[in-house]
This record gives sequence, C-alpha cells and structure tokens, in this order.
Amino acid sequence: MFKPASGEPGNFLLQLEDVSRTYQMGLMEVKALSHVTLNVVRGEFIVILGPSGSGKTTLLNLIGGIDSPSSGKITVDGIEITALDEKGLTFYRRHHIGFVFQFFNLIPTLTAKENVEFAAELVEKRRDVLEVLELVGLQERASHYPSELSGGEQQRVAIARAMVKDPPILLCDELTGELDFETGKHILAAMRRINEVNHKTVLLVTHNTAIGDIAHRVIRIRSGEIVEVRENPSPADPQELRW
Amino acid sequence: MNKLQRKVVRDLAASKGLFLAVIMVIFLGVALFGASFIAYQNLRSSYDYTYERLRFADFTVKVVEAPTETVEELESIPGIEAVTGRMNVDIALGLPGEETRGVLARVISLPSDSRPAVNDVKVEEGSYFQEGEGNVLLVEKSFAEHHELKPEDTVFLTVDDQEISFRIAGIITSPEYIWPAKSRQEILASPETFGVVFVPQDTVSGLVGKPFINEFCFLIDEGADRDSIIAEVVGTLAPYEVMDVVTQEEQPSNAALEMDLEQFGEMARVFPLLFLIVGALATYILLSRIVHNQRAQIGLMRAVGYSRRQVLVHYQIFALVIGIIGAISGAIAGYFLSEALTNFYIGLLGLPFTRIETQWLAMGEGVLIGLLPCIIAGILPAYSASRLRPAEAMRTPPPATGRKILLERLFPFFTRLSSLWKIPLRNIFRNRRRSLYTVIGVTFGVSLILVSGGMIDSIYALLDVHFDKIQTYDAQVTFAQPQSTALVSEVKGWEGVEESEPILQVPTRLEHEDRVYSTLVIGLSPDSELYGLYSTGGDQVTVSEEGILLSEGLRKTLDIHVGETINVRSLPAVSQLEVVGFVKQTMGSFGYVTLHQAQSIAGDQDVISGILLNVEPQHADTIREKAYQIPATASVELTSETRKELDEMLDYAVSMLWIMLGFGAALALAIVFTTVTVNILERRREIATMRTLGESKTRIAAMATIENLLLGLAGLIPGIILGYALALYFFSLLQTDVFSFDLVIFSRTYVLTAGLVILIMLISQLPGIRQVNRLNLSQVIKEQVT
Repeated sequence: MFKPASGEPGNFLLQLEDVSRTYQMGLMEVKALSHVTLNVVRGEFIVILGPSGSGKTTLLNLIGGIDSPSSGKITVDGIEITALDEKGLTFYRRHHIGFVFQFFNLIPTLTAKENVEFAAELVEKRRDVLEVLELVGLQERASHYPSELSGGEQQRVAIARAMVKDPPILLCDELTGELDFETGKHILAAMRRINEVNHKTVLLVTHNTAIGDIAHRVIRIRSGEIVEVRENPSPADPQELRW
Repeated sequence: MNKLQRKVVRDLAASKGLFLAVIMVIFLGVALFGASFIAYQNLRSSYDYTYERLRFADFTVKVVEAPTETVEELESIPGIEAVTGRMNVDIALGLPGEETRGVLARVISLPSDSRPAVNDVKVEEGSYFQEGEGNVLLVEKSFAEHHELKPEDTVFLTVDDQEISFRIAGIITSPEYIWPAKSRQEILASPETFGVVFVPQDTVSGLVGKPFINEFCFLIDEGADRDSIIAEVVGTLAPYEVMDVVTQEEQPSNAALEMDLEQFGEMARVFPLLFLIVGALATYILLSRIVHNQRAQIGLMRAVGYSRRQVLVHYQIFALVIGIIGAISGAIAGYFLSEALTNFYIGLLGLPFTRIETQWLAMGEGVLIGLLPCIIAGILPAYSASRLRPAEAMRTPPPATGRKILLERLFPFFTRLSSLWKIPLRNIFRNRRRSLYTVIGVTFGVSLILVSGGMIDSIYALLDVHFDKIQTYDAQVTFAQPQSTALVSEVKGWEGVEESEPILQVPTRLEHEDRVYSTLVIGLSPDSELYGLYSTGGDQVTVSEEGILLSEGLRKTLDIHVGETINVRSLPAVSQLEVVGFVKQTMGSFGYVTLHQAQSIAGDQDVISGILLNVEPQHADTIREKAYQIPATASVELTSETRKELDEMLDYAVSMLWIMLGFGAALALAIVFTTVTVNILERRREIATMRTLGESKTRIAAMATIENLLLGLAGLIPGIILGYALALYFFSLLQTDVFSFDLVIFSRTYVLTAGLVILIMLISQLPGIRQVNRLNLSQVIKEQVT
C-alpha cells in the first residue's frame, strides 16, 4: 500500500489556517465553516465525513478556489490562494486542481473523449486523453455522449477529465452519491488506484461513513467545525466495503 | 476546432429551431434594410443621372406671352448656364381607332433643327425631328404605351374645330414627365384623358397663329444663387406677366417622385429598425435562457480553469453567430431583393436612364446594423455568465420566487381560480422581464402589421372620399376652349342624362402677402350636387358669393386664415376675395368659388370649361360619343373608368404594402415563437413534475395557451397604439399640397390584425408544447435543477 509523506511542515501540500466562511441568505447569516485548521501532506487520501449541510462541500470549494473564505488563510503547494485575484485563481484551478462532482457535470453536447479534451486543452503539460480514459476503463466508450453512458461511466469520464490535467490534488464531492453500490465501489477503487499509482492527493467528501475506511485519514465535520480527525493505519480495500 | 468551439456548434444544433427564429428576425431586418435602402440609393442616383443627362431645368418661369428674342436677353443674366424658351399649350388630341374619344394633349414645342438646351428628351423608339419636317410629333412613352402608339402612326390635333394630322416621329421619355402629372393639382392624371406630345416650334407657332414663348426653362451655373437669379429673371420677364415660377423641387413629376422616394427612404430606415430592436430582444431572451440553463456547465468551466474572459467570449459567440449569419445572409438577400425592387420600380416608371451600382457601403451598413444589436444584446447574458461564481453556479439554486400576485391580493376571487388559470397568471408575474419581452415582441409585430394594413385602408378610403363624397359625378366633359353656359341645359336634355352642372376651372395665381401658389380656381353652382365640398370638421359646405373656399393644404402654404383677403390673379384680371373657409381635399389644392365669381375672375365672360354629369349607366357610352361631337370637347372622363385606372395605378403601392404586411407577420411569428418556446422549455422540469403528478397533456397545453394568449392580449393594445402612431408619422410625410391623406384604419383591420397575431401565437407555441409532451419524465425529474 502507498504511504503518503510524513506529516512534517515541509511536506504539507495543503494548509488551512483558521478558515471561516459565512453566507448571507436574505436577512440571515449562515455560518458554513467556522475556524477550520487543517494540514494535508502530499499523497494523502482523505475522506471528509459529515451530514448534509455540515459544510464539507464548502470546505472542498474553498480548497478548490471556486469559493473564497470570509477569513483565514489557505496555502496550496506553497501558493497562498486566499491572496490570489480572479486571474490567479483561474490559473490555480487550471494547474493544481481536478474536480469530480456528485452530478458528474459533463457537457451533454460533447462525447466522453471530448469532455476530457475540454479540460486537457487548458494546459500544455497534460496526459494523453485515451490513456486516462483507459485508466478509468472507458476507452471503449470514448465516442459516446453522456446521455448514452450509465451513471458510473459518466462519473468515470468526470474522473478522467480531472486526471487529464495531471493536477497534484483531486477534489471529489459525493463521488458515489448518484451511483449504485457496486458501481460506487468500482469508482472508489479507481480513485484509490489513482492515489496509489499516480501519487495524487485525494480529498473526498461524503456523508457515507463506510467510505471513511478506505482513507489514510478521516475528518468529521459538523455544523461547520472539524469535530474529529481519525488516522487510519491500514486503509481497507474498496471492494471490501459494505453499506 | 477546440472543444469550446465544438460546444458552441453543438449547442447551436441542439436549439437550432430557436436560433433559426432569431436569425430569421435579423435576416428579415437586414434584408428589408438592404432591399429598400439600396433600391432607394439606386433610384436616387438614377433620377440624378437622368436629370443630368437630359439637363432637367433648375426652374421654370411661365408667362402669358413673350417674344422669342427674350431668350437671348435672359441668357445674358449672370449665373444662367442655359435657357430654353418654348410654347406649352393644351390641345385636344384624336387617336387612331379611337375617333369617338379624345384626350387633352399637353403640346410642348421643341426646336426642329436641334436639341433643346434645357429639358431635353430621350428618344426611345423612332427618331427626333428631321430638319424641315412639319407635321410630326414625339409622344411621351407612358401615354404611347397606354394607347399602343408606334412611330409612323397618325394622330390628330384639333385647333379651331380643324383636325390636323400628325405623324409620330418617335416615342420619348422626358425628365419632366417621368411621373406623368398634369399639374401639381392633378398628380394622378390618367393616360386615358391626358397625354404629353412634343411638336416642332414652328409647327406650334402655326397652330396657335403666331410665334411666342410662354414658358422659359433655366439651368443655372453650379454654385449660383438660384433665388437671386429667379428674382432677376422675374424682373426681366415682368412686362410679359409672370404667371408662375416652378422650381425643380416643385415641378410636379419631380415632386411626386421625390415624395414617393422620401417615404420609401423613411420606411427603409424605420421598418428595419423595428426588426433589429426585436432581433436584439430575441437574442437577449435566447442567450439569457442558454446561460440560465447552462449554469452548471459555466460553474464547471470555471472550476476546471476556464477564465472569465473565455466564458464571456464563449457566450458572446452565440450572439455573434446569430448576428453574422443573419446579417450576411440578410445583406445578400437584400442585395438581390433590391435589384428586383429597383427593376420593378424603374420598369414601372419607365426611367430614361438608370444607374445601378453595387452598393457595397450600403451592404456593409446592413451587415453592421444587423450585427450590432446582436452583439449588444449578447453582452449582458455573456457578462452575467462570466461573473457567475463557480461554486454558486453549481449549487442548486433556490426555487423561483412564487407568491400571490397583486391581482390575487386585490381581488380574492383570483385566489379561488383553478390551477389551470392560477399557474399561467402567476407565471406571467414570476418572470416579469420575460413576460415584458413577449409583450414587446407582440407589440412590434402588431404595429408593423397595422401600419401596412392602415396604409392600404387609407389608400382605399382616399379613393372612396374622392369619388363618393367629392367628385360625385359620373362623367366630366372638358373643353379645350371656354364654351357658353347654354351648353349645360342643352346637354341636360340628352337621353340618359340625369343631372348636369357647369364647372369653370380658371388657371390662377393665389397671392397672400409674400406667399404665392399657382392653381386652379374652380367655379361651381352654389347648389352643386355633383361636386361635394366638406369643411375640415366634416360638414358639407357650399360655395357662396361671400368669398373663396380654399383646400386645407393652402392654409399652411399661403399662411392664411379665415377672414383674410387673398389676391386671385388670372390672365385678364386680379380679384380680391375673402377666405370664407377651408375644405378637405384628397388630391391637389384648389380654390372654390361660385360659377359667377369664376366667370368674373376669367374676365367677366359667360363661359364654362366643362360640364359635370350624372348619367344612367346604360347610356354612358352613347353620352360620351355625343359629347365628343361637341367641337370644343377635349376629353370626356367617366368616373368609373378613372377610378378603375387609379386602382390599377395604386395597385403597385398596395402590393408593396402587402409585402410589408407579410414582413410584419413574419416578425411577429419569429419573436413570438422565440419567447413562447423559451417560456415553455424553461419550465420543462416543472411541467414534467406536473405530468408525473397526473396532469394531462391537454391541461398543460391549455395552461401554456392561456399564458401566451394573456401575454398576446397585453401586447395588442400597445401594438395598436404604436402602429397608429407610426402610421400617423408616415402619413405626415405625405401631407403636401399634392396629396392629403387622412389616416383611416377600418375596424376590420384591427380585428384581422388581432386575429392574425393570436393565430401566430397559437401556431408558434405548438413546437414547444410538442416537445414537452415528448419529455422523458424520469430523466427530466432527475436533472439537476438549474
């Protein structure tokens, strides 16, 4: 089993320092995240657990640079992303982050291969599109449109799209939320493989407690606060999961 | 092609119906602009070229009688480039094969041995006069075509009861008679009763008994001050009694063409503008819908690393594609349409010279004015797409605001309505901006249809007023020379004549302070039943010995009011008459007096210039033949025939208006189709949910229909107001001393317009309804709410 780097400050890929995020909903102020501090080392597979509305997706969005904290500091790969302007954030997302969403978010008018190319075209240093499709087991379905693919296949296209830019961090939001049990396990296995073989740092948000067993570290969030951080010395094989 | 570009292509293909509808609006707008504006430019340059080639006079001065040597004297006035002195007289003309009928010919003299220095003619068939030829003449083309006259045919001029035969040497076109108007007062002269012929100068002198000049045509040097030259010319010609000064702008044919061209030009500007505003609205609606529907995709693009600028450009490209395809195809179609339109017009007018150029600039302008509204309309949705925060874009948006509408709060009755009514009503107020655009689209569609329909109605109403209220006689006999009033009672005794009244038309110059206007003063019986006069308020009035009635148009031309005195100058005398009222007039501007007053203006002679008749229809032809046997008869005009000819003459104008009406209907269809389809498709998830809950397809279609019909009805009223205002504006361009149109829109036109727009709404919602009826319910329900 692949082991992430040791938890020394020099190995930190991602650092969150006292990060908070509040939203204004009409007259109400909603505290989505409150004083979160977290360090992630390169190559770690982290599962963030929490019930609906706990703030886990907000945390992922802040790390991914598609949302900005109300306070606190986030540093990724030595870049303080909270200090970046719009242009800087775009560049950051382009080169450092790969997103995988619960609803896949594929462009319906592009084929599986074209959806992957859609992201690949943004970077010069990119992986071969067919190779990443092969990595997720979809090379045979490359010319199919999203509407012709099953949920699991669509999610694999989304993973390939995140992988093709070869980013150091993959952010997955409710990766298996829209999938059946068996397909979900296959997808998780694919993510684990990517973490182990390609040494990508994976942050996976879910409300499914069982998925926590495959992570190096499990972080629990409730009402916008980290309530538990649990190390997992021997992560389980995704195929052994039951929920 | 990169993937972003491919996405554009595929998105366009996915909503091709809607894109095509918006492209169609831009296409129609640019095509309409191109067709009318290029045709306008072509006509303008053809007129200018014709006038230049044939040396069309800058101004003409009419006198009673001047010696031929006056020309040399006038030529010496500084600033004058050339002068032609000629004779211009009206003489009865007999045509081959139509011996029982005659027409009034305008006989104009031309030099027999050379071409005139001013107001030349273009020989279309046959030849110009050969030196030494006497009884030959040239016939104006439209008149020759109407009577199928050819070179070498023989026609007759009747002078002093003597018929003199003339050989037609050639068929010509003249810059003065491109629009063959008899005078400014009789702009729609029928070739059945009026024609123009050109005769060698010496021959005309022979016909009238002596050589003289009664008309001088002038060309002035470029940059010369026309007004001061006119003043000097009028001073020089004062001994010969100046009757009228007609500038190029006032010349009847040119004035008619100019008025027509100006209105054409104005329509070339205003109508396409309406299309392009609607095109911009439609583009905005469509792009807003795309941006709204692709929120998640936009969020993804931004999350993956696409910059704001890339997102903005991506969505702006949709607007550009609409603009480029619509504008370029519209410009090309406009170019070909303009050729067809120019050729149609030129053929109709029989222009001597045409100058058709490829109007690259106008085509470029067309592309630009098609492209600009799309780009501007696209900026807002594209900008809002680029400003979407990725996390927000991908988050499920809160449900659209739903609340009681004002109507429900004010009238509790509405809250008890069934969902069949309540949902459409709330939908209208839920997306007010969308509803407003639908209403604006309907408003513009209705107004375009109504403007065209109103103009068609007004043309027919003008003819109705002219022939049913003003000229109520069945026939008019016109004499070449004044005749005794005794003829009126003689004619009344003819079989089939129900009524006969005298008429005396005296050529005069009306003078009020420094303003003058040359026209006919018409003398009628005070109790005339065959010539109706109506005050500007619409009441019937009669001529009286107390003064003169003037056509409404003269109020402004002469700057005169009721109670003021006017000088009426005729050949033999100057009379002073008090203006006792103004009367409505459809064509021309005249003064109306009693027969007795007219005779006094004409020099106290007991004469008439014509007889008005009411006849039994079965005797009309016999009476006409009999009238032509009166030696002095120049023409006999049957009102029914004149009306038929006028109908034919106006047919082309009406057919153009029908085309405009078709454009209006197409516009209404395109805008309504876009907004209605967007309205329906945007709520596909909501509709799918209703279907899942058990609502029938019919009820859902009924809800869509109710919503669209309510919006359609809301657009009808402002559409009618805007259409009426636009029609009034176009009519204001037509209010001259030559024509006086009242805007008339028949009730049936309102009903038909409303019916047509409602029908368009019902048809245009069908594709949208069909699409939602075919929804895969399980798939749509699962879709992310965006």
